[in-house]
Amino acid sequence: MRNLPEAAVARIRAWSARRHGADELPVKIERRRIYILPTRFGLMLVALLIAMLVAGLNYNSNLGLAFAFFMMSMMLVSMHHCHRNLLGLTVDVKLEVDAFAGADAVFYFMLRNESAVDRCDVEVRLGTRDDSPQGIIEATRSVATGSYEEAMLAVPVANRGVRRWSQFELRTTYPFAWFRAWTYVHSPLTAFVAPSPRGARPLPIATAAAGEAARSESRGDEDFAGLRSYAPGIPLKHMAWKTLARGGEAAVRVYSDPGTRPEWLEWSALEGLDTEARLAQLCRWIAECESGHPRPYGLRLPGTEIPPGRGPAHRSRCLRALACHGMSQP
Amino acid sequence: MKLAAPSATQVTYTQLRWICVCLALALAVHAASLPLWLLATVVAAAVIRLALSARGYAAPPRAIRTVIALAAILILFLQLHTFNGVAAGSALLSLVAGLKLLETQSRRDLYVIALIIYFLSLAALLRSESFWLLAYLLGVSWLTTATLLRLTHSTQPSGWRRSARYAGRISAQAVPLALVLWLFFPRFDGPLWRTPSDGHSAETGLSDTMSPGDITDLALSDDVAFRVHFNGLPPPAAERYWRGPVLHDFDGRTWRRSYAPRLTSAGLLPTGPGYRYVVSLEPHQHNWIFALDWPDGWNLSDAYLNSDYMLVRPALLSRPLDVSVSSHTHVQSAEPLSEAMRRRDIRLPAGRNPRTLQLALDLHRAHPNDLDYVAAVLDLFRRQPFFYTLEPPPLGLNSVDEFLFDTRRGFCGHYASAFAALMRAAGIPARVVTGYYGGTFNRFADYWIVSQSDAHAWDEVWIEGRGWMRVDPTSAIAPTRVQAGLAGSLAASSRFAAAWRQPFSWLSDARLQLDALRQLWRERILRFDQRSQNQLLMSLGIPEPDGQKIAMVMGAGLVLVFIWLTWQIRREQRPDPKDPVVRAYDRLCRKLAAAGLSRRPYEGAESFAARVARERPDLGAQVGALCRRYSRLRYGASRRPAAERWFVARVRAFKPRRAALARGSGQDRARTAPR
Repeated sequence: MRNLPEAAVARIRAWSARRHGADELPVKIERRRIYILPTRFGLMLVALLIAMLVAGLNYNSNLGLAFAFFMMSMMLVSMHHCHRNLLGLTVDVKLEVDAFAGADAVFYFMLRNESAVDRCDVEVRLGTRDDSPQGIIEATRSVATGSYEEAMLAVPVANRGVRRWSQFELRTTYPFAWFRAWTYVHSPLTAFVAPSPRGARPLPIATAAAGEAARSESRGDEDFAGLRSYAPGIPLKHMAWKTLARGGEAAVRVYSDPGTRPEWLEWSALEGLDTEARLAQLCRWIAECESGHPRPYGLRLPGTEIPPGRGPAHRSRCLRALACHGMSQP
Repeated sequence: MKLAAPSATQVTYTQLRWICVCLALALAVHAASLPLWLLATVVAAAVIRLALSARGYAAPPRAIRTVIALAAILILFLQLHTFNGVAAGSALLSLVAGLKLLETQSRRDLYVIALIIYFLSLAALLRSESFWLLAYLLGVSWLTTATLLRLTHSTQPSGWRRSARYAGRISAQAVPLALVLWLFFPRFDGPLWRTPSDGHSAETGLSDTMSPGDITDLALSDDVAFRVHFNGLPPPAAERYWRGPVLHDFDGRTWRRSYAPRLTSAGLLPTGPGYRYVVSLEPHQHNWIFALDWPDGWNLSDAYLNSDYMLVRPALLSRPLDVSVSSHTHVQSAEPLSEAMRRRDIRLPAGRNPRTLQLALDLHRAHPNDLDYVAAVLDLFRRQPFFYTLEPPPLGLNSVDEFLFDTRRGFCGHYASAFAALMRAAGIPARVVTGYYGGTFNRFADYWIVSQSDAHAWDEVWIEGRGWMRVDPTSAIAPTRVQAGLAGSLAASSRFAAAWRQPFSWLSDARLQLDALRQLWRERILRFDQRSQNQLLMSLGIPEPDGQKIAMVMGAGLVLVFIWLTWQIRREQRPDPKDPVVRAYDRLCRKLAAAGLSRRPYEGAESFAARVARERPDLGAQVGALCRRYSRLRYGASRRPAAERWFVARVRAFKPRRAALARGSGQDRARTAPR
């Protein structure tokens, strides 16, 4: 709310959070959760309407009064329309996203309008003025009747870590900017900010390759190296059917033949660097593993171990581990 | 909006152009009352700003703008001496709008201009009573609102037609609400505070002096002076004299009013029937109220009779006014004329009109009785070649002499003036009365129209034992004029062609009907007041209405309108309310949502059914069938009413069990499965 001091807005937000509790997405905006107040322009209009009424009464002019009342009614009707512009809109968003420090955390908000009227100028907002120097990020969309629009909010994130927003806001001043209707959706948005990938050290496999290979071949019998989640395109003969039958997720067996033996990305292998530099190097390794050779990789951090695997889900898990490292909350 | 690109809040050329159009339309109704230089300044500001904008430049620098603004406002103040009142206020607002235009950079500046346009519209209505002006200004405000809609739109500027339609929709929805407010909002009798009277409006109609030729000008005007509705029978045509200013002081050429104090005694005894009527006066910027002959009752608390028996009120009549009056046309004076008044009413200017004085002396010697003398003078007018014309020759200082002995051509004013002078010369108190005579009956709405062309002048002479007696010397010259109105007697005059004096033409009918509408508008809309509100409440069946009851009715009305409005807007929420299939599908989704399975916004019917089958195998088959049927009905090539009915009925019968129940023990599931 531009009109209200930040403290008041924070109180409204907190009150609204207590009132509605946590929201389960997707949220259909209903009557109870829409708040509406006049904008500064609206307050100017109110002053004007009072002046109009007084003038009409003072000059005892029925036509003047008719016009003044007409304008008042316009304002009241426009309030209904402003409220209506949010009412019944459905909003959905993927709550957790990955990002790299120094880049943007990008949330995609889906606005869906199933009603018979267009919704114009709906603004999706994230953050508060106190949050960060960047303040509030917003995007404005119009959603035609029976369709949906995607609003992309790119939040610049400077530092590694986990950033949370306990709610986001939808607001609109349509049609005449006399009123602002808004609603809070109390679903926590999280950006896992992995370190920016940096570092010049080569992948550990390059150094340890020789010894590892010898030991592995001497064992000979067991080349099963672990499970990883199924991705389309993997031969079915590698499916871990037992796991699936037990009710687990679809997984495939990974065999540690020399070409696909897991790569362990180890915190302890990076002696002599400070924490952030180590994490940056690990992050770069993850990127190299994903883009380079088809070898599964695992991650070992103090207190955390992620078994070897590949693919976007695995990568995301590893990056989140890096983002959360050393943070008080996971 | 703050972090949006600067172009989003920057004003574009198109936006500027449209707000300029709206401002011009609103200013147009004020143009006549605005100083020329002010109009020129506003136009120049608009042209400069538009030209700059068209070339992509920003507004001129602040220093220049400030100097121009201060100078213009100072000049305006020096010219008007005040910013209070409608005229001065509108002038100031117009100037501010123009100056604001010059410095417009962001949307907020345009918002301010839009508000000024709204207020200028209101200001124009404060002084006007025209239906057409109201319609025009509602149109202007609609256009302004549409412009505002385009101004505030930040995603994609919608097309003009769309904005106009949406603004029109909101305006239309505002009408019932405005109507309730207008009907029931409390009205006050007087102004809340006095505002400087806007003295620009010119006096119309009769003034408080009469020189030869004055009334002639009025006779050519078709403007309405007032309208009269008689409760009961109107007086006969020969008695419809509407008295206006009574003139006493004569300087040989011009008659003037003299001091007339409030009448203290009743003074008159009626000798004939009384008439009750409502007179609706047009503003004439004087303090008198035209009434039939001798008024004795009226419903205006601040009006009173003065010693000339004129109905007057303290304030000038600057707005239309309706008064109920009762009058008599035949009266007798109960008291003798005071000596002071007698002396005043026989005074003639020394040394003027000597031939008239001589004529009066001769005639009075021959007819010593006052009534005989009056008859002799009228007979003189009748027998001698006096002519009645709208184009009388100009007269000099001894106007009565010149008229009686040389020109012998005149209009009613000339005759009234000469007659009064002849009476006074014979020592009979006489005064000139100006007013209106006759009127046109509007058979479409049962009222009389008295227009400026009905303006007339006659005399009143004091006859001992009888009091003031009306004498109309004009009737001695051209009796037809007195009987049939001006058009009959002056048909030959080429300059005179008032349409509603030709009783059988369709044009006059149309004019009368239009005038009837105008009168209706005036009675029902413009004169709507507390009394009308009470009547309205009584017709709604509420007895003894008072302010509190009116407020309660207003509250109830507002609640009703709000419910209607909410229903209107709610209705739009539903997707295509006409299609029963869509409605039924919505119902299905609501039922499933209640059972803990809400459809995601991106899920189509089939994918939703698939998810339901995954999450709730017990419902899978049923929901799958319904959703497949929905897809086929909704996207199929042709409509199949039977299948639609089947679908609707099945959805109605569908009762999903809540998730908690269904996830019970295996036995429970086993029992529900066969169903």
